[in-house]
Amino acid sequence: MLIAVFVVFAIGILGYLAYQTSIMIQTQQLRAIDSEIDQLNKQYQRLGTRGLVVALQRNANRPGPGIYYVADPTGQAIAGNVLAVPIDVLENPGTHTFKYDRGEDLHADDPRAQGVALVKSFQLPSGFRLVVGRDIVERRGYSAAIFQAFGWGVLWIIALSVIVGVLTARSVLKRVDTVSDTARKIMSGSMSERIPVTKRNDEFDGLATNLNAMLERIEQLMQGLKEVTDNVAHDLKTPLTRLRNKVEGALKDGTTPDQQREALETTIEECDQLIRTFNALLMIARVEAGSPSGAFSPVDLADVITDIAELYEPVAEDSGITISTELAALPRFSCNRELIGQALVNLVENAIKYAKDAKENPAITISLHVAGKNMIIEVADNGAGIPVEDRQRVLERFVRLEKSRSEPGSGLGLSLVAAVARLHKGTIEILDNKPGARIRLSMPTEH
Amino acid sequence: MFFPSVEGSLVGMKILLIEDDREAANYLIQALDEAGHVTHHAADGETGYAMASSMDYDILIVDRMLPRRDGLSIIESLRAENDETPALILSALGEVDDRVTGLRAGGDDYLTKPYAFSELLARIEVLARRSAPAEASTAYQVGGLTLDRLSRNVERDGEKITLQPREFRLLEYLMKHSGQVVTRTMLLENVWDYHFDPQTNVIDVHMSRLRTKIDKGRPSVLLHTIRGAGYMIRA
Repeated sequence: MLIAVFVVFAIGILGYLAYQTSIMIQTQQLRAIDSEIDQLNKQYQRLGTRGLVVALQRNANRPGPGIYYVADPTGQAIAGNVLAVPIDVLENPGTHTFKYDRGEDLHADDPRAQGVALVKSFQLPSGFRLVVGRDIVERRGYSAAIFQAFGWGVLWIIALSVIVGVLTARSVLKRVDTVSDTARKIMSGSMSERIPVTKRNDEFDGLATNLNAMLERIEQLMQGLKEVTDNVAHDLKTPLTRLRNKVEGALKDGTTPDQQREALETTIEECDQLIRTFNALLMIARVEAGSPSGAFSPVDLADVITDIAELYEPVAEDSGITISTELAALPRFSCNRELIGQALVNLVENAIKYAKDAKENPAITISLHVAGKNMIIEVADNGAGIPVEDRQRVLERFVRLEKSRSEPGSGLGLSLVAAVARLHKGTIEILDNKPGARIRLSMPTEH
Repeated sequence: MFFPSVEGSLVGMKILLIEDDREAANYLIQALDEAGHVTHHAADGETGYAMASSMDYDILIVDRMLPRRDGLSIIESLRAENDETPALILSALGEVDDRVTGLRAGGDDYLTKPYAFSELLARIEVLARRSAPAEASTAYQVGGLTLDRLSRNVERDGEKITLQPREFRLLEYLMKHSGQVVTRTMLLENVWDYHFDPQTNVIDVHMSRLRTKIDKGRPSVLLHTIRGAGYMIRA
């Protein structure tokens, strides 16, 4: 369809060009004839009929397409290079086209024996008839050549465009096929499948790269979901079992009201802990899905840190831990204040747990500064620190190192911090504070 | 059934509960009754809206997800009709954004399910009192304890007490709601402006410091811990 439109269009343009060209040639020939007539006319005025005839004969003897003919008032040919001119051409001044005999030594049915002339004829004041013109068979041949060239051009263009079109379509279809192949493989379960990227670096590669990045993200989310369900099974079922046992025990015969009451109170505590874990899980899921980004606003992070430090300062002091802050004066930072606050709380609560077993002067330092294009918040303690081999693991959901198992907590604290960091396009790192741990939250200032 | 009975709390409030879960509603109605309040119940959004706009209530407790009409649109419509009855939104959604949309719709407070009844009771009592006029006082007094909000002066029996700025705000909030229970989360929300549930006893430690400053060595105790609920300041 598209090719047909293209072909019609190409033929149209080329045809128009050829037609215009032939018109132009005719106009040019008529102009040449006019100027020749002009010259001959001057010759005639200067030198009279004789001069004219001489000049005309000179022109006529020159090889070329020129046609010249002079007849006296009786119609008798005087000079020229054609044998005869039809009588009505001689009698009617103006532009004419006629067939003539070239008078060469050619066989009569040779097409070259006959010529076609485009002429102007007019009558001189003395009664002489003058005919000047051009053999237009030559011009016609020229036009035909032009038309033929155009025709070939059209044919070539059509042929080439069909070939190129078919080749392009085929390569495009082939690449679309690879995409749909990959999609099919992924649908049938192999999530790690990726669309091949060529070295051509064209639009298709851009598309493939983006689709691959999307697949990567989806796989990550699915992985996260799977981890959560696995962990929920373990970390929620355990306390639920404990809860059930406790209630069952309280319902046994022979328990005193006091014992039942105590059992109920523990049940509520356990429930609250479960609710907290559940809330934390939901929050991580929501943050990872990126949904609360609408609540971004410019926040003075130094204020947030001061608030949290002050909130936890009495608790820390009760455990003999000092909390100090090192805050650079910085412009407001666009973030979700609640979530940054929550992340800081988690970090500080962790730090308090860890700083408790510092050898001397347990202390926590919260610092804020900018490094390059990143806003850096660090919470450092001087406790036992986190062994290198555990550093990556503690960021995962529900991972609790042995030493913290006895402390309250869900094992979700750092996962939430990591999720909050990701929401702000940042990262969380666990560094060595020598002694102790230094958790670094870095978030790009432009996001 | 046992509910924390609280002396000095508001009694006889007329409450409209719009909640579609029958069991949760029955539990709440009974518990509110034991706390001395009268509760009407609507089980869907349309009925709830009709009741709220045709009768006078001291407080509305509105579940967010309701059959026939959602909780937020009920509150929005009431506010559009200049009905300023305080409304507490109950929701199973508890994210920061949900809270913001809830409050923006005209809700006065937001409580995430599951909640402790003591938390709900403390919040609706504070809400109902908030809507009562004559509260823009510049000074509070509870027994021999006075707090001047302008000069930031705090005295107990004529003796000046020096407080940290945050301790001042804590005491100010408690005294503004003297005779009412304020929960730990209410304190965290109103004094620190954070809406999370701290895992450790951060608020308790702040309160025990405040208590040392205002009650230590005094013949009578003003700052009371209400078991299972929170704190209350009263003479």
